[in-house]
Amino acid sequence: MARKKAGATREGLNIILVGCGKVGVSLVEKLSQEGHNITVVDRRASAVTAVTDLYDVSGVVGNGASYRIQQEAGIDEADVFISVTASDELNLLCCTVAQKASHCATIARVRTPDYSEDSQYLKEKLGLAMVINPEREAALAIARLLCLPTALSVTSFAGGHAEMVRIRIPQNSKLDGRYLRELGKELAGPVLVCAVERSGQVYIPDGGFQLASGDALTFICPSRDSKQFLGRMGFETHQVHNALLIGGSKAAYYLARRLLAVGVQVRIIEADMARCEELSNLLPRATILHGDGTDADLLREAGILQAEAVVPLTGIDEENILLTLHARAVAPGAKAVTKINRIMFPEAVARLDLGSVICPKHLTTDAILAFVRSRGASKNSNIEALLHMFDNRVEAIEFLAREGSPLLDIPLRELALRDHLLIACLFRDNQTLIPGGDDCIQAGDRIIVVTTHTGLRELAEILA
Amino acid sequence: MNLPMIRYVLGWTLGIEGAFMALPCLVALLYGEAAGWWFVPVALGALLAGGLMVWRKPADSMIYVREGCVATALSWIVLSLVGSLPFWLSGEIPFFLDAVFETVSGFTTTGASILSDVESLSYCMLFWRSFTHWLGGMGVLVFLLMVLQMPGGSRMNLMRAESPGPSVGKLKPKVRQTARILYLIYLGMTVLEVILLLAGGMPLFDALCTSFGSAGTGGFGIKNDSMASYSPYIQWVTTVFILLFGTNFTIYYLLLLRRWKQALGMEEVRLYFAIVLASIAVIVAQLCAGGAAFGKTLRDAAFQVASIITTTGFATVDFNQWPQTSRTILVVLMFIGACAGSTGGGIKVSRIGILCKTLIKELHSYVVPKSVRKVELDGKPLSHEVVRGVNVFLVSYLLIFTLSVLLVSLDGTDMVTNFTAVAATFNNIGPGLELVGPTGNFGLFTPFAKAVLCFDMLAGRLELFPVLLLFYPPTWKGTLHRVRRAAA
Repeated sequence: MARKKAGATREGLNIILVGCGKVGVSLVEKLSQEGHNITVVDRRASAVTAVTDLYDVSGVVGNGASYRIQQEAGIDEADVFISVTASDELNLLCCTVAQKASHCATIARVRTPDYSEDSQYLKEKLGLAMVINPEREAALAIARLLCLPTALSVTSFAGGHAEMVRIRIPQNSKLDGRYLRELGKELAGPVLVCAVERSGQVYIPDGGFQLASGDALTFICPSRDSKQFLGRMGFETHQVHNALLIGGSKAAYYLARRLLAVGVQVRIIEADMARCEELSNLLPRATILHGDGTDADLLREAGILQAEAVVPLTGIDEENILLTLHARAVAPGAKAVTKINRIMFPEAVARLDLGSVICPKHLTTDAILAFVRSRGASKNSNIEALLHMFDNRVEAIEFLAREGSPLLDIPLRELALRDHLLIACLFRDNQTLIPGGDDCIQAGDRIIVVTTHTGLRELAEILA
Repeated sequence: MNLPMIRYVLGWTLGIEGAFMALPCLVALLYGEAAGWWFVPVALGALLAGGLMVWRKPADSMIYVREGCVATALSWIVLSLVGSLPFWLSGEIPFFLDAVFETVSGFTTTGASILSDVESLSYCMLFWRSFTHWLGGMGVLVFLLMVLQMPGGSRMNLMRAESPGPSVGKLKPKVRQTARILYLIYLGMTVLEVILLLAGGMPLFDALCTSFGSAGTGGFGIKNDSMASYSPYIQWVTTVFILLFGTNFTIYYLLLLRRWKQALGMEEVRLYFAIVLASIAVIVAQLCAGGAAFGKTLRDAAFQVASIITTTGFATVDFNQWPQTSRTILVVLMFIGACAGSTGGGIKVSRIGILCKTLIKELHSYVVPKSVRKVELDGKPLSHEVVRGVNVFLVSYLLIFTLSVLLVSLDGTDMVTNFTAVAATFNNIGPGLELVGPTGNFGLFTPFAKAVLCFDMLAGRLELFPVLLLFYPPTWKGTLHRVRRAAA
C-alpha cells in the first residue's frame, strides 16, 4: 500500500512519449505505474495498439515530429515530451518541434557519437531538458565494473564522488557470519551497507543484521574508499589490465575510449570490415581484429584465455549471453560483463550465472524517471539520480536539498523517518560522508536515500 | 480464467446497485408508499453480498479480454436479476420472469414493457424502473472504472466490453479520467433536461423519470400513453434531448475543449443527423399528403424518428396507424440505431458508414482490380481489424436476429409482431409494430419467448460478443476443472 501512497494520490503529469520500442514500452510501464497521463506516438499502428492494450495510456499513430500529430497527442497541455525512436535525428526534431509548440520539458535519446560528443551544445541550443545516451551510460557502467572486477555492479552517485557497489560474499570470507555493527567498529571506514539480498528476500539491514556467505551485499562509500574496504575484507581489488570486446557497436566504441583513457589495453573483434576500419581510425590505440566473434578458434587466437576482461557487445542478446558463458568456461579468471538490450526474462537470466549484467534500457528508464519525478514534485528538492535494484524492489535516490525544504538543519536522529528507509550518504562541499545521528541536512547537500518504498518524489517524503 | 477477479468486479457491481437503491427508498418515503420497504432488504442484501465478494482483493488483478467480457456479461445478468427483486417481492409484477424482463429492459435501455397498465405501479417502482435506464445508459462498469483501482490493461478490457461502437476511443489518456468526463457530461445533460422540462410545467417526478428515460435512451414511460399527453413544448424538448443523447459523446468533449472544427467534422454525427432529417422529411411529406396538419405532423414525425433511431422508444402517437412507407422507415431506423459512443443501441451509424464504404471499396476493386484503397473514417485510415470486426459483427447480428425471430415465432403471433418484437428488443428500442406497437405490450408472449427476448436485449446492449462468449465452451475450459479440484 505504501507504494500507492506516493504515486497515486496526486494527478500525474501529462507526458507524450514518441517511439514504442524497448525503452518506450519500459518507460510506459514505469511512468503509468506512477500515475502519469501518457500518450504514446508511433508510426506503426501495431506498436501503438500493443502498448494501449497493455497499459492505461492513449495512443496516436503517426510521425511524432509532425505538429499536427503532436497536437492530436495534446502537446498544448503536455508537461514532459520524451522522444525515444530508433533515429537520433527524428528524436531531436521531435523535441525541437515540441519545444516550440509548447514550453514543455523535452527529453531526447541520442546514441550516435557524432551528436553525443556535442550533446551539451545541442541541449542548450535546442532547449532540451535532457539528452540521454544509453549506449554511453552502459559503456561507463561497464568501465566502472572493469575497474573493480570483484563487484557485481558499481553505480556512481553525487557526480562520481560516491559509489554504490554490489558484491556477493564468498565462502570463508571475512564477512561471513559478521554482524553489521561489528563491521562499523572494526573498519571505522566510511562504508555503509544499505541492502542485502538473501535467497530472494531483500533486507534494508540495521546493526543487528548478521551477514552470511552467499548474500548479495550493496554498500555505499566515497568512491576512493571502495577498493580499500574490499581489500581489507580480502577481496581482489586490482583493475583489469586488458579487455577483449566482442562486437564493435556504439557501446564498444564508448567503452574502448573510456578504458584506453585509464590505460587498459583494448582489443575489439568486429565482423564488418568497414566498421573495423572506421574503429581503427577512431581508436588508434586499440587493436581491431576483423572476424566473427562467435568463432571459438578466433576467440582463442584473439587471446580470450589471457584476457582479464571479456565484454560481448554484439547487437544480439542471445549471442552476448552465450559468449559470456563461453568466456566463463574457458577463462574462469576473466571478468565478464554481459549487456542485455531486449530479453525480458529476468528470472531466467538470473539463473544463468552470468555475473554482471548491464541493461541500457534500465539505465535510460531510471534516468528519465528521476527527471519526471522531480518535475512533478515541489521545488525545494530535486532528484539527481535514481537506481532500481533487486528487480525494482529497492530504489536508491539521490536528492538535492534546496532552500525551503522542511528537513534542513534538523539532526537526523530527530527526524521521524519511514521504516525500511536509510539515509545512506551525504555529499557536501566535495566531501562524501556517511551520516550519523548528529548530522544535519543543509541546503545544497545531496542526499542518497535507499528504500523499499518505491515512488518517492521529493525529500520531504522520507518522513513517516 | 481469473475467477477471483470476476468475483471482485461482480461484488462491486452488486454494491453499487445496492447503494443506488437508496434513491427509490427516498421516493417511497416522500410519497409514503409501503411498497418502498421492499427495496431495503434487497439493497442491504446486495451491499452485504457485494461487500463479502470484494472483501479480499485478488492477488492477480489482471483482467484480460476474456475476463473482461465474461465479467461484463455476468455483471449485467446479476444486475438485472437483483434489480428485478423489488418488483417481484412487492407483488406489483406478480411473475418473476416478467419482473426480470422489465428490469433487463430497463438496464439495457430497451424500454419494452410487459405491463398493460403502467400507471398502476407505485411511484417508487416507477422511479426505480426509469432509473435503471439512467444507470444502464452509460454503463455500470464505466461507473465502476471511475472509482476502482486496477492495473492499466484491465480497465481498457472492461471498458471495451461495455462501450458500444466498432472501436473504443479514450478522451483522456487514462480510462478513469475518460469515465469521469463521460459521466460528468451525462449527468450535466440530464440535469439540463430536467430543468428545461420543469420550465415547461412538467411535475418534478415526471421530469426526472422522462429525463432518465431519454438520457439512457431507454423509453419507459410513466403514463399509459407514453408521452402523448404532454404539451408540445415538452415533446420538443424531449425530441432534442434524445437526439443529443444518441450522439457520439466525443463531440461534447471536443465542444467543451472548443475544438469546433474537429467536432463539427465528425463524419458519424453528420451522417446521423442527415439520416434523421431525411427520415423526418419523407414521413412528414407522406402524412401531409394524407391530409394531416403540418405543425403537429412535424412534431410527431420528429419525435418518433428521434425516438426510434436513438433506440429510445418513447411515443407521442400510435405510429402503428401510419402509412406503410413511414412504418417501414421506422423499422429501418430501428436497425441503424444511434451513434457509437452514445447511450443508444442498434447497429450504430458508424458501422453502417463503414459497411457502405467497404461496399464501395469492393465495387471499386472490380472496376480497377489492382487498386489499393483503405477505408477511412474522419480522414483516418481504419485498421483491418476494425473493418473485419464490423463485418463479423454484422454477420453475427443477422444470425442471432434470424434465430430469435424463428424462436419467437413458436408463439404463433403474426410475422410483423414477431419480427418487430425481436428488432425492438435486440436494438434496445422498446415498442415495435402491430401487437407490440406503442399501444400494445410484451405481456402477450410465452415465458420462453420472453426469455429469448431478454437474451436479445442483453446481447444487443453489450454488442453481442461478451454475451455470446458466455455460451462458448472454450471460454470456460479449464475453469470448471479447477473449481472442482479446489472444492475437492
